Amino acid sequence: MKKLIQVKNVTKTFGSQVVLKDISLDIYENEFVTLLGPSGCGKTTLLRIIAGFLDADEGHVIMDGEDIANTPAYKRDVNTVFQHYALFPHLDVYENIAFGLKIKKQPKDIIDQKVRRMVSLVGLEDFLHRDVTKLSGGQQQRVAIARALVNEPKVLLLDESLSALDKNLRKEMQLELKQIQKEVGITFVFVTHDQEEALTMSDKIVIMKDGEIEQIGTPLEVYNEPINEYCARFIGDSNIIEGNMIRDGLVRFDDVEYECVDKGFKDNEPVDVVIRPEDIDIVPRNQGKMNGEVKSVLFKGVHYEVIVETSSGTSKTVTMHVTKEHDITNESAHEKISASNFYMDLEDVPNLTDSEVITRANAQAWNEDNEDVSLSKVTYNVKNEVGTYDCTFATDKGTEISIKIFVVKPNVIEDQSNEEGIQAFDFYRTADEIKESMALDTDLILWADAAAWNLEDDSRVEIWDVKYDFDDENIVEGDYPITFSTQGRELKVETTDKIEEGERIGLNWNPEDIHVMRKMVV
Amino acid sequence: MKGFSKMAYPYIVWMVVMIILPMLMIVFYAFSKSGNDVLTFQFTFQNFIRFFEDSVFPNVLWRSLKMAVATTIICIALGYPCGYIIAKLKGNNQAIMILLITLPMWINMLVRTYAWRGLLGYVELSSEARVYVGMVYNFLPFMILEIYTSLSKIDPALLVAARDLGANDFQAFLKVTLPLSLSGVVSGITLVFLPAVSSFFIPKLLGGGQYVLIGNLIEDYFITSGDWNFGSAISFIMAIIILISMYVTRKLDRTAKEDEI
Repeated sequence: MKKLIQVKNVTKTFGSQVVLKDISLDIYENEFVTLLGPSGCGKTTLLRIIAGFLDADEGHVIMDGEDIANTPAYKRDVNTVFQHYALFPHLDVYENIAFGLKIKKQPKDIIDQKVRRMVSLVGLEDFLHRDVTKLSGGQQQRVAIARALVNEPKVLLLDESLSALDKNLRKEMQLELKQIQKEVGITFVFVTHDQEEALTMSDKIVIMKDGEIEQIGTPLEVYNEPINEYCARFIGDSNIIEGNMIRDGLVRFDDVEYECVDKGFKDNEPVDVVIRPEDIDIVPRNQGKMNGEVKSVLFKGVHYEVIVETSSGTSKTVTMHVTKEHDITNESAHEKISASNFYMDLEDVPNLTDSEVITRANAQAWNEDNEDVSLSKVTYNVKNEVGTYDCTFATDKGTEISIKIFVVKPNVIEDQSNEEGIQAFDFYRTADEIKESMALDTDLILWADAAAWNLEDDSRVEIWDVKYDFDDENIVEGDYPITFSTQGRELKVETTDKIEEGERIGLNWNPEDIHVMRKMVV
Repeated sequence: MKGFSKMAYPYIVWMVVMIILPMLMIVFYAFSKSGNDVLTFQFTFQNFIRFFEDSVFPNVLWRSLKMAVATTIICIALGYPCGYIIAKLKGNNQAIMILLITLPMWINMLVRTYAWRGLLGYVELSSEARVYVGMVYNFLPFMILEIYTSLSKIDPALLVAARDLGANDFQAFLKVTLPLSLSGVVSGITLVFLPAVSSFFIPKLLGGGQYVLIGNLIEDYFITSGDWNFGSAISFIMAIIILISMYVTRKLDRTAKEDEI
């Protein structure tokens, strides 16, 4: 195949923002090339430079062996299908399609012939003299394609051309576009952010990020052999796991070594490992390469998407003391007041404020009409050492309640294999407070002051799971264990077999299903 | 919606009293002899016959039409480039230009025309030329604003598309910008031609009494000679001519849209 367009070291900046960084790309004859990336990655800018609507700051665009930097857009052998079609509203379907030919002053009979051929290619024979503003999105799309193709360009550029259509129509147009491309036999350069669209239509996919090309390859290559984590995430669903390459053909992740077919890494090089959900098989426990527990099952039409937890996160269990109602009624002032004992971290003592004490004790006062009454006096004698201290809340009218504050040593659990730390504290609540909670998991995290962090860089880690074994609607006084944990290793698996949540299973795959990628340079 | 429609009643009453009744009165006067009242209505074509018998009146009518058409053409010739340039300006500059163009309209037209009379006193000009200056000056902003509005509504992507399809800048203007802005030109024509054809104080003030147009005639018969019947007949003839010309311009607009390319 012949190189039709060569993009050589093209750089483009808008103001201080670099939109394209030294881009080089070869586009061949009769090829369907997709520029794929999120918005702002520079794909549309690159398209516009090829079309001639923008000039590159540096570098060359070579078409048919000639630098076209100085060829204006209207003289290039390139036509564009615009994102919102940009059909001429004052012209009908026929006139829109004939526009380019009339500009080139072709004879009337030739124009007529070519327009009619185009119209039948895109299937708009019955709409020839229809007002373009009265067409549906899909029909407008076809007019836009016909209007561009009738000029017999060497390259057709399509700028997010399907994004304005609804999902079903988009799928239909994907097939149709591919069909048209095969039929007219010219190069299509298609810009999209939709990975599925790219996989369906392209001969070659160019994945872009922040003005740079990350990977160029056939749909199969970019799907099966993504070059890094970004490409793997962008194309299809992936399980991406950090690991180390022990040596050629052996990779270690989640503390176990696995065979693979990848080579060419340094020994012990940190890598990212991809396993596609459809490459993992579910097998009986202990018969696969990993064991796990089914966390969730989602029906996706043809298959089930199963989330399997293969190793648990870091967890910490605390005791929730459920106490009976302890409202204190002040008959003369017609007020009631309530508050709970609480535990707190010794490290937090220096920063303790009145409002924080009120929040932690969940202290509140109210009158006969159930209106909130402010707590005007908060007294406590907490010292900066472990111990039990008294605390009193009071309103203006002298309604009072006393509670205990237990200052305890920080109570951290560190999990070296996960490189995570977690801590949480015992706490007191009344049964009503638990029943009234609107988002119990969130409240439990708040009440227990639960937090987790990365041991390496101290960054916050989300509390992923709150486990408890009580019925919050009918809870009674007593002590209850609550376990907070971070997210463990979860693998996404696609299967056509029905499987139940909570089932304990094994997972298996072949060495060639593991794909090892170099770490991205940040 | 039903509840709101009642709010239109005062407006309808206003329209009947202030617009429809006077128009009916004009028709009534035009087709009757002077000195009749509600009980004795004397129908006649005499007022119209009088208008066309004497060549003076059709001549004035013809001169008024020529004047209005010429004013309109000059306004298009000056207003289109002006509207085009403003539509191409960036945000703030555009707002400033629109402000500058609308600014004179905040002052009464009569006052501005008086000002022109003073200004034109310094130069040697025929009374006809003076009237032209006044007309164009007064009506040009309407044309500019209409053209600017229609131009700024054109999606810039259409021009990019035209260039993509092989049109150079001039062809893109001719094939896309111009036809899409014609509706603005047509409403501009309506806004300039109608007041221009019936204007009476501009020729009166700037023409120095030498230059009589149809508006002056009407004014004379109503106010100076008190012949309401003949004045109404002239107004009626004017109204018919304006109706015909509006119909023609609208028709032109439509065929222009259909014939393009």
